Amino acid sequence: MSALDERRASFQRYKQDVKERGKPFYPYAMFHDTVMSLVVVCVIVGLACVWYLTSHEDPNRCQPKWSSCMLGPRYAEPADPGTTNFVPRPDWYFYFLFYLLRIFKWPDSVILGTVGIPTILLIIALVLPFIDTRRDRRLSRRPVAVIAAILVVISMGELTYKGAVAKEALASEVVAAVPSWAQREGFANNPKAVSGATVFAEAGCTACHTYLGTGGGNLGAPDLSAEGTKGKGVQGLTSYISDPSKFGNNVMPKFAAFANIPAKDAKGKNLGISELQALAIFLDASKGPK
Amino acid sequence: MAIATRTRKSPRRERLEAAVNYPIDWLEERSGLIGGIRYFLFRKVPGDTNWFHTLGSATLTAFLVQAVTGVILAMYYKPEPKTAYASIQHITNDVTLGWLVRGMHKWGASVFIILMFFHMARVFLFGAYKYPRELNWIIGVMLLVIGMLEGFTGYLLPWDQTAYWATIVGINLNGTAPFLGPYIAQFLRGGAEIGPDTLARFYSMHMLLIPGAIFALIGLHLYLVVRLGVSSPPWSKEAAGADWVEEQEVSTDGRRAGLTRPVPRNYVRGQRGDSA
Repeated sequence: MSALDERRASFQRYKQDVKERGKPFYPYAMFHDTVMSLVVVCVIVGLACVWYLTSHEDPNRCQPKWSSCMLGPRYAEPADPGTTNFVPRPDWYFYFLFYLLRIFKWPDSVILGTVGIPTILLIIALVLPFIDTRRDRRLSRRPVAVIAAILVVISMGELTYKGAVAKEALASEVVAAVPSWAQREGFANNPKAVSGATVFAEAGCTACHTYLGTGGGNLGAPDLSAEGTKGKGVQGLTSYISDPSKFGNNVMPKFAAFANIPAKDAKGKNLGISELQALAIFLDASKGPK
Repeated sequence: MAIATRTRKSPRRERLEAAVNYPIDWLEERSGLIGGIRYFLFRKVPGDTNWFHTLGSATLTAFLVQAVTGVILAMYYKPEPKTAYASIQHITNDVTLGWLVRGMHKWGASVFIILMFFHMARVFLFGAYKYPRELNWIIGVMLLVIGMLEGFTGYLLPWDQTAYWATIVGINLNGTAPFLGPYIAQFLRGGAEIGPDTLARFYSMHMLLIPGAIFALIGLHLYLVVRLGVSSPPWSKEAAGADWVEEQEVSTDGRRAGLTRPVPRNYVRGQRGDSA
């Protein structure tokens, strides 16, 4: 008897067993389904109530020091393309993908994290019934399936957890580090570079990039501590930051809007250049720690 | 009419029954719907189905919650960059029970995704994706993927900072895919920059395209569940379709003996778990 005939015979037996010894869907199975559905609706309503009742109208009151919001703020600040200090963080069920991008670094292997691994996983899931054609359904007879399931659960759980606790540098903390950057990189006497460093800190660049150990190292973004040694020049850096996609970098957002904001020094004096230029001067002055 | 002879009914009751039965019979005669519902409700399922089998219908319930709350939200939400954020604030703070509807939609999404994964894990561990249910597994995987796409498109709609920047990065990541990537990114953005067109098309996908696809796939999914039946837990002593052979009867050449059913019922029931 061929494998397919065995499977067919097994299904015929199943149908006959159900016909002879099964129970009607209503009311038996439907009772369980109804109870479970009520539980689901109650959980959803409960989450909605806890979320609303522990949060405030003002989104800023959910910052870490106001950690009274158990399930997060009602909304973040309104979207503002020109603004600063964002955290590109997806909803929690994308954390595992999000964290993959910290493992695979830009630009060589980042495609593995963004497209490669998710696509492979999806294809495996789709063809699973054709890989595993044995009839046996008992777990004790399916060691490979059990091990695979455990590995998938552990790795997805680990990636989700790491994505959830991944440290996002807070703008205020990063700004506090600017003087030490200027000292270590030796651009303390260049007010334009210092101004650019402040923009860099406030604009949330460290949500992805790292600089002298500060920052997220997210989405495969490179360390910028010695960006000035790469010979791009102030001009090159300016055009790169304003539209990275022109240089083949389609992950980093465009920051062209910064060209319209005048850069100021620590005392609020206008430096006669835009924030975009200040950023470029800062990066060009970053020759690595001395 | 056996019943009528057993218990005498008052003419009043007979008239009442006729009034109830007439529209049911009318519908049945013209559509066969009543028969379909009867078949759905009174079809036999294996006697050993348990709480694990409720994860699928729980997922469906979570999706229906999303559909209902989504329809209500769509009555108040304004998909324009200038008004979207204010309309979300309006829903949350001013509309009667608006906070509850929005909260249920926001958290129902997470519950829906979690339940899809739990349901998938159940089907995997029960081996329920095996013959003849391969196609239903594939439909389920497709539902998981477009369910997550639904989450991705919905995340932008509040038009707040997290949503905006996460979506920019999400679209850019799509753009890194070989060949199709840049086109997908261009399509999602609706132009070179993320802006009003992006929001409008995310809204359209989120409330028309993807939910339509989910409804259609759930319909197919359920059709196949009803047609093929649900499988017994593999460890069940009563598993429907289990083989009738004892371990010792597996012949030395590795082929299973006794696939016909000569052995009386309950003889070695449950010794083998490879049921359909």
